[in-house]
Amino acid sequence: MKLWTYLRERAAIGEPRGKLLTGASFAYVFGAVLMFLLLVQGVTGFALAAFYSPSTTDAWASVAYIQDQAPFGWFVRGLHHHGGSAIVIIAGVHLVQTAVSGAYKRPRELVWWLGILSLLLVLAFSVTGYWLRWDQAGFYASQIELGIAAATPVMGGAIKSLAIGGNDYGNLTLTRAYAVHVILLPALLLLVTYFHVRISRRLGPTPVRTKPVAVTRWPYQSMRDAIAIAVVFAILLAYVVSTHGVDLAAPADPTSAYDARPLWPFRWLFELRIIAAGAEQLVAMVVPAMFGGFLVALPLLDRRTEREPKHRKLWLGALAGLFAVVGALTVASFARDSNDEQLARRRATADKLATRARDLALTNGVPVTGPLDVFKTAPMWNARTLFATRCAGCHGVDSTERKGPVIGPGHGNRAWLTQFLKTPSGDAFYAHTKLAQTENAMKPVEIPAADMADLVELLYSDSGAQDVDVAKKDRGVKVFEAACTDCHTRDEGVASSAGPNLYGLNSRDYYTSFIGNPKAPIHMGSDKSQMPRFDRDLSIVDRDALAEYLVWLRTATLDDVNALGPL
Amino acid sequence: MAEDDPDRRKFLKVTTCALGAGAGIALAIPTLRLIAAPAGATTVTGPSEPLDLGPIDRFRVGAEPRKVEVIAPIVKDAWTAARNVVLGAAFIRRPSNDKILALSAVCPHLGCAVGWDTAAKNFLCPCHDSRFEADGPRMTGPAERGLDPLPVTVHDGRLQLTWVRYKMGTSSREPV
Repeated sequence: MKLWTYLRERAAIGEPRGKLLTGASFAYVFGAVLMFLLLVQGVTGFALAAFYSPSTTDAWASVAYIQDQAPFGWFVRGLHHHGGSAIVIIAGVHLVQTAVSGAYKRPRELVWWLGILSLLLVLAFSVTGYWLRWDQAGFYASQIELGIAAATPVMGGAIKSLAIGGNDYGNLTLTRAYAVHVILLPALLLLVTYFHVRISRRLGPTPVRTKPVAVTRWPYQSMRDAIAIAVVFAILLAYVVSTHGVDLAAPADPTSAYDARPLWPFRWLFELRIIAAGAEQLVAMVVPAMFGGFLVALPLLDRRTEREPKHRKLWLGALAGLFAVVGALTVASFARDSNDEQLARRRATADKLATRARDLALTNGVPVTGPLDVFKTAPMWNARTLFATRCAGCHGVDSTERKGPVIGPGHGNRAWLTQFLKTPSGDAFYAHTKLAQTENAMKPVEIPAADMADLVELLYSDSGAQDVDVAKKDRGVKVFEAACTDCHTRDEGVASSAGPNLYGLNSRDYYTSFIGNPKAPIHMGSDKSQMPRFDRDLSIVDRDALAEYLVWLRTATLDDVNALGPL
Repeated sequence: MAEDDPDRRKFLKVTTCALGAGAGIALAIPTLRLIAAPAGATTVTGPSEPLDLGPIDRFRVGAEPRKVEVIAPIVKDAWTAARNVVLGAAFIRRPSNDKILALSAVCPHLGCAVGWDTAAKNFLCPCHDSRFEADGPRMTGPAERGLDPLPVTVHDGRLQLTWVRYKMGTSSREPV
């Protein structure tokens, strides 16, 4: 208690202050609730800043790390995001309440203007904060917002260049937005709210009771403040938990099409721009300026001392009209989206991409080259991409222009070999090739089933597979010599006269070599293959990656292929 | 309003403090958990397996120690996964055909990178002039122990090294 006495004397803590002449009321809780919510933003903002990295290569990755890996990261991020929305809502209610009760009138004009200024700062927070995610949503929102700013007469180009830090979006865009969001805006907001609160305290609240009884703030007003804070915070926490925080879209991709939308406080402007097509740049600037101008001018327009709402129908009606228009435009904007089925499909695709990116970031980490490369960390991404772009046209099971054998799961396993030997010109094999139409086409191998099994085991073992029945394989050598050697050989490096050399058939080295030049004498020979050689336009690394993928396919099922995920 | 009823006043004070404390705790606990999460956690994951230093034939028997870069194929650092990260350097010596010695180039004094002094045939740390014998033991200088040996094995004719960082400035060898 000595410390308390010490502080009480020196810091003037607990000294009796002026009483609340108007009495305590729930009408006066909004300031306290907003202060508490700003504290929440400060605390959660600090925690997020301790993880966030403002660079184009790291921003998305660090947010994904906060969201999906750091303990309670999703919660703190969600609290910060939705807490910002709560501030806009409560500040809006506070503004309407102030307007209705005529609390902006003399001598409280300054309090009103400082309040409007702090609301503008809050909106600036939400704009800059949204950019920092550097996902599709934040990236494209920044494009639109800065596009509007760039249309400002005379200074537009300079404003945009200052905001993005140069000629194009990049690291400097993020470092600047970050500096503004975590240093400049908090400092300004602190300053503005300090004077807003200080002056309003000096002047006291606008009376809401006809016969007020003066009370001390503590505990009579404080308890009402605490109840309001507890209720608002409980709703906010419940919302954060029920939504699992806030979404994170796929990493920013300047080449993609993305249905960008601004955050909800700006949706009315988005709708207005659609309605005002043709003059949208003008409307996007003039309308908010007029709205803001009206709010600022209100104490100057409505100057009579009369505060009773029913005697101020003109100005309150005008204000109600403005809010009704903003509300209607907001509802219309959300309704437009929810009725758009094509948009819903595009959103579902974008959501899948986001989930994919975040899954890969979680399991593999994000490459230092940037978050878009996270897609390339998928298993055998390079080989599968090459296959899809360079091979699937002629070898894909779904291809309508197939020119060669199907290459898919199970390629080169025992069942595949057996089927191939029985029907080399079957639909899944050489049926679509020119070779199949000629005399040179391979004839079906017609031998007893036991011999066939031995031959298959031999060819299967050449692929390098480990699960080989050695006895069967050894017997297969004799079958091969009896049935195949007219056209084929299994000796390394020897070109056989009619058919391809089968040395190391379906092994990684075989595939690499075959893909490199299928027309080589040891493979198909120049007259029997339509397949182009790839040793000139695919690097040895790429050809080897493809070969590795083909070897992997031998033991894979369709489920395994699907489990690799999309490209 | 019964402003001066002491019981009511006390009840209001207690309720206010309880509500305030509840909101504060609800905010503080998850936030502190998040901020404190990296403490004691493995946020940077280096290679768990031995690293390849190339064919054993690169290192001639009886030659002077040869400096090699120790490169990890992948290092995960919080959200990034970096490839081919240089972890440090090691000196490899091959006193006889079947004996291979690897010494960390990190000076056990304060962590500067030691170099091979070709004239004196020993290791010299450029920061505080600690000297070490070709096999590692300390000769002179402020270092409290010799150079740290690193585990090496030969697999399929290739040298494999396990990278370990030891605490600096101590006479005993404790992995970090």
